[in-house]
Amino acid sequence: MISGRIAMRNLALACTALAGLLGAPARADDITQDRLLNADKEQGNWLLHHRTYSANRFSPLNQINRDTVKGLKVAWTMALGGVEGGGIWSHGGLEGTPIVENGMMYVTDGWGSVYKIDARNGQGKLLWRMDPKTDHDWAGAVACCGVDNRGVALWDDMVISHTLDGRLMAMKKDTGEIVWQRQVADPDKGEAVTAAPLVVKDLAITGVAGGEYGIRGWIAATDLKTQKEVWRTYTIPAKGEPGSETWKNEGTAANGGGSTWVTGSYDPTSNTLFWGVGNPGPDWDNAHRPGDNLYTDSALALDLDTGKIKWHFQHTPNDPYDYDSVSENVLVDVPVNGRQTKLALTADRNGFGYAVDRATGEFVWGTPFVKKVTWTSGLNPETGKPVEYDPSQPVQHYNAAVTPSRENKVAEMCPGNMGGKNWPPTAYNPTLRLWYIPTIESCNTITVEETKPDSFKPREFYTGGGPSQHQRITGSVTAIDVTTGKVAGKAETPFPQLGGLLATPDLVFASQPSGEVLAYDAKTLQQLWEFNTGGGVNAPPITFSVDGKQYLAILVGLGGAWDKWFIESTPELKKMQTGSMLYVFAL
Amino acid sequence: MYVKLITAFSAVTVVAAVSLHGPVFAHDAPLQGQAAQGKRVFQQANCIGCHKWHGGGGGGYGGDALSLRATQLDRDQIIETVLCGRPGTGMPYFRRGIYDGGEHQCYGLGRQELGKDIPVEAGTFLRPNEVAAVTDYVLAEIKGKGEPTYAECSAFFGDNARVCNVYKTGQPASDAAQPSKQGS
Repeated sequence: MISGRIAMRNLALACTALAGLLGAPARADDITQDRLLNADKEQGNWLLHHRTYSANRFSPLNQINRDTVKGLKVAWTMALGGVEGGGIWSHGGLEGTPIVENGMMYVTDGWGSVYKIDARNGQGKLLWRMDPKTDHDWAGAVACCGVDNRGVALWDDMVISHTLDGRLMAMKKDTGEIVWQRQVADPDKGEAVTAAPLVVKDLAITGVAGGEYGIRGWIAATDLKTQKEVWRTYTIPAKGEPGSETWKNEGTAANGGGSTWVTGSYDPTSNTLFWGVGNPGPDWDNAHRPGDNLYTDSALALDLDTGKIKWHFQHTPNDPYDYDSVSENVLVDVPVNGRQTKLALTADRNGFGYAVDRATGEFVWGTPFVKKVTWTSGLNPETGKPVEYDPSQPVQHYNAAVTPSRENKVAEMCPGNMGGKNWPPTAYNPTLRLWYIPTIESCNTITVEETKPDSFKPREFYTGGGPSQHQRITGSVTAIDVTTGKVAGKAETPFPQLGGLLATPDLVFASQPSGEVLAYDAKTLQQLWEFNTGGGVNAPPITFSVDGKQYLAILVGLGGAWDKWFIESTPELKKMQTGSMLYVFAL
Repeated sequence: MYVKLITAFSAVTVVAAVSLHGPVFAHDAPLQGQAAQGKRVFQQANCIGCHKWHGGGGGGYGGDALSLRATQLDRDQIIETVLCGRPGTGMPYFRRGIYDGGEHQCYGLGRQELGKDIPVEAGTFLRPNEVAAVTDYVLAEIKGKGEPTYAECSAFFGDNARVCNVYKTGQPASDAAQPSKQGS
């Protein structure tokens, strides 16, 4: 036995020496680009923010299914941190998507601490916590919508994460030790980072928040091997660049918004990155910024290697509503009207779900997924633009009776400015070809303030007005048949969907800010299971398996924009307490 | 209803505040130490959440907090506003039980008259000396000031706080003002 140990040690030493000669080889649990490209094949893992580059948030795991889900129970929980306040925020919240690799889970709290948890053996054991010491005052004062961090990425033997104060960080997966960090966004400019990084081909892609602070938005790529920035594509064109003509008033583009605060998707066959762009600034005074305001409220397709924009599709030109288009683009291949089509799907804050040809950006279909849309009477079936859109007019009014403007300074519109769907991610079942949207069924009231030449002040809100809530807001999980573009079902919920969805072969998982985690039948949207966590949920569920057993995991801790800015529309949620918990369920 | 309340607010504020002044706040002169305590209250009671560290308030995603820098309210009126909140707005009331029919009646209006416009309850209730302290802090350090300065910011957050960087030159960040070409 002893000699055996010695033999093994010698073999290990020999292997190490050989590895040294050949250069450091990838270990079995190192994250390579090949593994990320094939993340769907690692059935028990959740390797990417949206599970796969196509952002389907679909897991094939099926132990927890239509028949067994009623037996789903809490397996273990873990208290996390990051509830403290900072800046204008009284507390942090949890919006992160857990990442799981071979039974090891990585989650974040709102201030960007990263936790590695051993999720094997039916229990959760905290292995390390990396606290990035985020500057609470600096970042919290320019975080429009909460102290949020939506999760990490894995690359090589490292964990890659963002902080609210604008850093991109790499830490050792084994120990949490910080290897390097770089400042990628600048809170002095009103920039913050809440999105999880997307790692593709040794690049970390960063999106930025700050559309309410007069930033000029961008998407940036950092080479993880050199820690150098490879490209930074601004979402507001510079003077003379294509699209700059859509900012007709001199100087408005410089503070034109166009944030990019939701993690995008990637198509390896065309080497294209898909990323959504947020609202123009100031949000509600569109007369201040005549023109279509490209590339705000648009889906962008970009070349991964250069950041060059291949095409764009703008949803709400010259937006007077705060209808960001930051939503993830979900990449699906389906027959539409008898023709196999490669689509990019996005559920916009303006209440419409869109499908475009992802090679060209050509409009395929658009469907309202909320119960009530008042700002437009519909989309042009050829172009996908709102039917009232008049490209000859510098300022759009759409349905003028409900549109905030200098002529209509107090306007009630539907969807409200949180949108029909906000950042929480959709999920797609490729077998049923159903796309599930976490929906906010809403209207709210906007009061417009005319922007003056001195209205812009660094690090201060630059919104041209503000919302108020005089209407109850509810929610739904809405399913769209992707082959037809028609709504196939709607499961209504008392409160808005603020956490995002997960699809499995039989089920759709959702949540409520009042504490419930929910499971629906994937075909009928009949509710099959519910568990009340006792804390507000505004984070997406994921599933993974280890030791042959399937688990469901979700972060619980109400934060974000809702409980500060929109709580009046859901008064019962005022009683929800601050918390920071990880829940893991199993049969 | 809102207009009516605001009118009522204006008419009764001074009367109510004066009647409160004697029994609740025995001493008037703002002291250095009291202003310092007031700053702590300003932070702990989350005044900063809407009025910001500099008190300038402003619009944005949730309502439009009034500027304490530009306020015309006097000491008694500020005290009344902190105790009672502002009907029909997001300004909460900070005095426990102030609308429960005690000796002090805010703006001459009770819970019944205010109906749904009754101010929201603050997350933290303040004792009378804390209300006085935060009021004196507002009067001494915020009211009547112009644009926030680096010195003010450093006094609030301490030296070398990054949150104050932006006030060093008074200029917005450089490449927001001049968009650069795409690419690195």
